[in-house]
Amino acid sequence: MFPACAVRLRALHILRAPRGGVLPPAGERRAAQKLFSSEKVIHKDRSLPNSSWNSDLKLMFDQFMKKCEDGSWEHLPSYGSRSSQIVQYFKEVFLETKLRKDEQMLSQARLFTRSYEDGLGFEYVMFHNEQEKRTVCFCQGGPYLQGPPGFLHGGSIATIIDETASMTAIIAGGIVMTVNLNINYKRPIPLCSVVVINCQVDKIEGRKLFISCDVRSIDEKTLYSDATSLFIKLDPNKSLT
Amino acid sequence: MLRTAFCAVARRGPHKAPPGAPHLRRRLGPISAFASSVDSRITRFCVEKTDLKDYALPNASWCPDMLSLYHEYLEKTKTENWVKLPSFKSNRDHIQGLKLPIGFESPLSSAQGEYRIHTRGIQMEGQGYEYVIFLQPSKKKSVCLFQPGPFLEGAPGCAHGGSLAAMMDETFSKTAYLLGEGLFTLSFNIRFKNLAPLGSLIMLNVDIEKIEDQKMYLSCIAQSRDQQTVYAKSSGVFLQLQLEEE
Repeated sequence: MFPACAVRLRALHILRAPRGGVLPPAGERRAAQKLFSSEKVIHKDRSLPNSSWNSDLKLMFDQFMKKCEDGSWEHLPSYGSRSSQIVQYFKEVFLETKLRKDEQMLSQARLFTRSYEDGLGFEYVMFHNEQEKRTVCFCQGGPYLQGPPGFLHGGSIATIIDETASMTAIIAGGIVMTVNLNINYKRPIPLCSVVVINCQVDKIEGRKLFISCDVRSIDEKTLYSDATSLFIKLDPNKSLT
Repeated sequence: MLRTAFCAVARRGPHKAPPGAPHLRRRLGPISAFASSVDSRITRFCVEKTDLKDYALPNASWCPDMLSLYHEYLEKTKTENWVKLPSFKSNRDHIQGLKLPIGFESPLSSAQGEYRIHTRGIQMEGQGYEYVIFLQPSKKKSVCLFQPGPFLEGAPGCAHGGSLAAMMDETFSKTAYLLGEGLFTLSFNIRFKNLAPLGSLIMLNVDIEKIEDQKMYLSCIAQSRDQQTVYAKSSGVFLQLQLEEE
């Protein structure tokens, strides 16, 4: 069903779970829907404004949606879990049998950065510029991501950097895995503020993708963190476990 | 609003104030009225008589490996001077009566309201981070027993790389604070080796490698119980800063 050449899946196909790209047959869609306990939650695009978004986040969203009009930027939709099609493929090709048997765990699974209720965790939206090989993510870190009182947890910052860099790597290289992530924290990020994570593909060497990022305030005057990362394109001929 | 960059504080060393911020009162040695020792920090952190819920206790979602290792380490708290750390839903609950130094506060640092530490942000049992940290002060090390739930997914069926990074940063953070007043992460480097399945037990072994120039250097290996599978290795550098009395 998925020959090796189809491994290079564009982010839009991976992300647009219920529409666009290749749609699974009706029977499989119904079966997939039964797997998810909370269907409405899983299939809603979480990268669109909701009532918890503050004015800064809405402003950046509007600005970049405008930039999408001439096609130079594209808005990346984001769902509560990966498409069942991708899950199936990944399981069959990359995971050994012993890891595949916990169906109940897999059926409850949610993409980590989308498993919070509106406003409590990560509220974020990503835009991609193919010509510049760059992805920007506007993120508002909510009250359930605290580290030092009043600030975002270092691990929350690492997570959203990893998620943005992963998306950049997936678009450039198909199914990938993070190998290295190196983060320098310059200033703590105040809770409930909006930051912009800017990720850039620096170079691609064979199966390796080198990506660098920085995390700034939306006026770009404050540098909160910078990071470098290495991703590797997965080989469908090799199991990961 | 925060004006101070970490790098400026770290470069200046322990006795100099960062530019533009009030002088950070440096508490030195046992003769100072505000000095805190490892023991006093641990005692204060553990808040023994409290109604606060301790999330670092077994529940129905814990897998057999997690339960048995938990009991193994609980035994060690009686025989080998290990300490089981409680885990409340917010860091503020652990540092009651203390606050971040002047110049390191945000508008929300003392706000009332429902705030949760990242690793206790997903409340439903078994769905997010299930973990408990044990500390061995005499050997400058700690162990975290971590079981990632289905809401921490990254790759299908596996823990999100960010969630493992966050668990490591959190274990570093508690170890650094209790054993050396390490307060903020300056840098964090993680090398992923193998995908970690959701619902499995991951053991994080953390060591303090060295302390110099107001910085603490820690390392961590995250592996399966039998040590046959290494999931990731990481290192972190923390800035030492003293909390102030409120």
